[in-house]
Amino acid sequence: MSHDVQEWRQYLCRACGLIYDEEKGDPDSGLAPGTRFEDIPDDWECPLCGVTKTDFELFEKPVVVAVEQTAHFSAEPGIVVVGAGLAGWAAVEAIRQLDQSVPVTLISACSADLYHKPELSVAISRGLDKAALIQETGVDAARRLGVQLMAETFVVGISPSLHQLRTTRGSLTYTKLILAQGAKPALPAQLPPELCWRVNDLACWSGMQQALAKGPQSIAIVGAGMIGCEIAEDLVRAGHRVTLLDRNASPLAGLLPEPASQRLRDSFAALGITYIGNDDITGVTQLDNQQKQIRFGSGNTLEVDQVLAATGLMTDNRLARIAGLDFDRGISVAADTLQTSQADIYALGDCINIEGTACRFIEPIKHQAKAIAHGVLNLEASAYQHSAPVVRLKTRSLPVVMNGLPLAGVDWTLIHEDADELVMEQRFDNQVIAHLKVGASTQTRAA
Amino acid sequence: MNSVAVSSITAPWTDDAKVLADVGLIAREQLAPAAKRIDEGYYPLDIMANLGQAGAYAGHLDQHGCRFGLAISAMSEVSRHCGATGFMTWAHDVCGLYMEQSGNPALLTRLQDHTAGLTFGGTGLSNPMKALTGIEKMALTAKKVPGGYSVSGTLPWVSHIAPGQYCGAIAAVNRDDGSRSHEIMFLLDLDERVPLRACPEFSGMEGTSTWAVPLKDYFVSEDQMIADPARPFIQRIRGAFVLLQVGIAAGVIQGSIDSIREAEPTLGHVNQYLHNRPDELQAEFDELAARAMVLAETPFDGSKDFFLDVLDVRCQGAELSLKASQSALLHQGAKGYLMNSAPQRRIREAHFVAIVTPAIKHLRWEMAKLMREEVPA
Repeated sequence: MSHDVQEWRQYLCRACGLIYDEEKGDPDSGLAPGTRFEDIPDDWECPLCGVTKTDFELFEKPVVVAVEQTAHFSAEPGIVVVGAGLAGWAAVEAIRQLDQSVPVTLISACSADLYHKPELSVAISRGLDKAALIQETGVDAARRLGVQLMAETFVVGISPSLHQLRTTRGSLTYTKLILAQGAKPALPAQLPPELCWRVNDLACWSGMQQALAKGPQSIAIVGAGMIGCEIAEDLVRAGHRVTLLDRNASPLAGLLPEPASQRLRDSFAALGITYIGNDDITGVTQLDNQQKQIRFGSGNTLEVDQVLAATGLMTDNRLARIAGLDFDRGISVAADTLQTSQADIYALGDCINIEGTACRFIEPIKHQAKAIAHGVLNLEASAYQHSAPVVRLKTRSLPVVMNGLPLAGVDWTLIHEDADELVMEQRFDNQVIAHLKVGASTQTRAA
Repeated sequence: MNSVAVSSITAPWTDDAKVLADVGLIAREQLAPAAKRIDEGYYPLDIMANLGQAGAYAGHLDQHGCRFGLAISAMSEVSRHCGATGFMTWAHDVCGLYMEQSGNPALLTRLQDHTAGLTFGGTGLSNPMKALTGIEKMALTAKKVPGGYSVSGTLPWVSHIAPGQYCGAIAAVNRDDGSRSHEIMFLLDLDERVPLRACPEFSGMEGTSTWAVPLKDYFVSEDQMIADPARPFIQRIRGAFVLLQVGIAAGVIQGSIDSIREAEPTLGHVNQYLHNRPDELQAEFDELAARAMVLAETPFDGSKDFFLDVLDVRCQGAELSLKASQSALLHQGAKGYLMNSAPQRRIREAHFVAIVTPAIKHLRWEMAKLMREEVPA
């Protein structure tokens, strides 16, 4: 029969889109597989929406001419910056200098207020508080620079293949992503976070400042690195009783040669700072009288009103791990472009590692921001050139200035020494690799 | 039941592919046709028993090889055809997890029937999970009495329970002065002492057998004890608890993408103008699923970073469920809006995924809490 050789046809319900397939029939309503459309009784109803046979039409699979999309609708262009410290804002400023209209979103775990972070280590003796340190609120700066600010928002995930960023206030997509997440205090297990202040950001510093504003107190600063030394002088000048603790015999022993370190220790003693070296802390607990008791490996103990941890910084690796970014104590970036190991993701500031070294200083940030701004806007390269920044210790009683990058284990040469000033150099392969000046001679001061 | 019967049931579950194929078949042939009825109120214990026999509730248990990936994939297959049953599969799975991780011999004896879908039980931890992280107050309180505890209070709504079944529960133990001593976790047997109270009607997923559970001086024996104190136990299983939920979302998402693709032959010429197209959704889903499967390798990792990763995956699963289910309805158009269509049902299932504890807002709240640096008071 001609019927049987005809191809099975399909009929489309115009009302609901259901397809009646002759081959399959509709057994539920009594149409056996193989029932031709014309053989269906007129009172048969669409099993889905109930319309009758007359509302069906022959279905011929249309040739779909879909446009191949190169960009998806939801992947709207926009630069996303994570972190609103000096580095994040520097990136935003650098972008806006080159392009006033590209959409920029800035995500900040705090309120994103602008302040000059180095001031934190000298602000208490100057009587400053949080309000005095804020140069511009995050909201005002966002308005001035035309960026969308997501304040008090944490980034929890990054999917580079989707160009997707997930936050505690929802997900967003990026065309280019700039990580300026900063570093966080590396707190050893012996220093419980609920008992020890840190001063790595304004909010945390402000908590300590308010606690100290109640009146002169005893405070132990754990770690005699740069921040520990600067804060020790700041707090003693503000009238507090300061004890500086370190594993080493004298302050800044990791950076300075012994004679320089000894001068700093003498200078601190003259200011009234007690230095306790050569001892490890084994724990800190709170006593009933609210004082904190510090226990040492030697068996000694120390009771103080406040404890401040200045035990160094580390970069949190969670985002880098999730995003599959190369990471080695910091997010690894190309030295000239500051691009990470993933396309369209850049990083700058305290969170990065250039050729194996973290660089947590202020000076390079604006240069890094400029290079990144050119990169994300696809402008001709403005290559970043990394060099070791000059290190100036903000210890007014004994200024310390270091040029270059000293190497551990390389001998220091004495260049000049008198009662007020010590100048030393480190040489390697007949080249001066580090130049150190401690204190200032009367001549230099006059100059 | 005797051990011979158990081994004949458990033996075939060693093959992941077979478990998934069997579960998938039951989901397609039994759950899919019943999905509307379940959505409206039918509690599908018959089909859930079949899923149990197929090994849907076993994978994540230590005694079945701690294969969380298998448990999540099986749940996803279920949820792909019926979100309500996917949710009950999760409830059943975590109840099994409580029983096993309790180490209580009395509960371990009951675990095999539970795993095989011969007995059923859910989880009443919505309130305590929120209470333990500070979002709301603990609903149940317990007093120490000889041989156990006496528990009173009302759990507002608990799913996948019925007379003769059971669920995990947590109660606060207070000192004489009213201050909190600790919490206990126990398996609440819904026997004649517990009058289940009907809940108000929900907009969907009515077949999940969800009841309010009022308790008055309910005696909890040692045989029912899951953990005393409960906090270390919750701390240990919370990652696994939340991670397993990804299976519910995964099914809703994949089912939605299925519905979109179904509409392509007839509607592709107009659907191309919609956003959230199937390939785009599939790419995001595949990336999400891959991350979940990595996390499933170490479900009891107690680190903060691991828990954050779990919360992130769970949250993204909820967001993508919403996006995919809405897109499926738009792609199917009026057909998807019909009362008996899967896309409109999935819209409600997706919203359930987004609001069930931990809801999107709880997940973000918890992630923010974990990310915030702790400082002196």
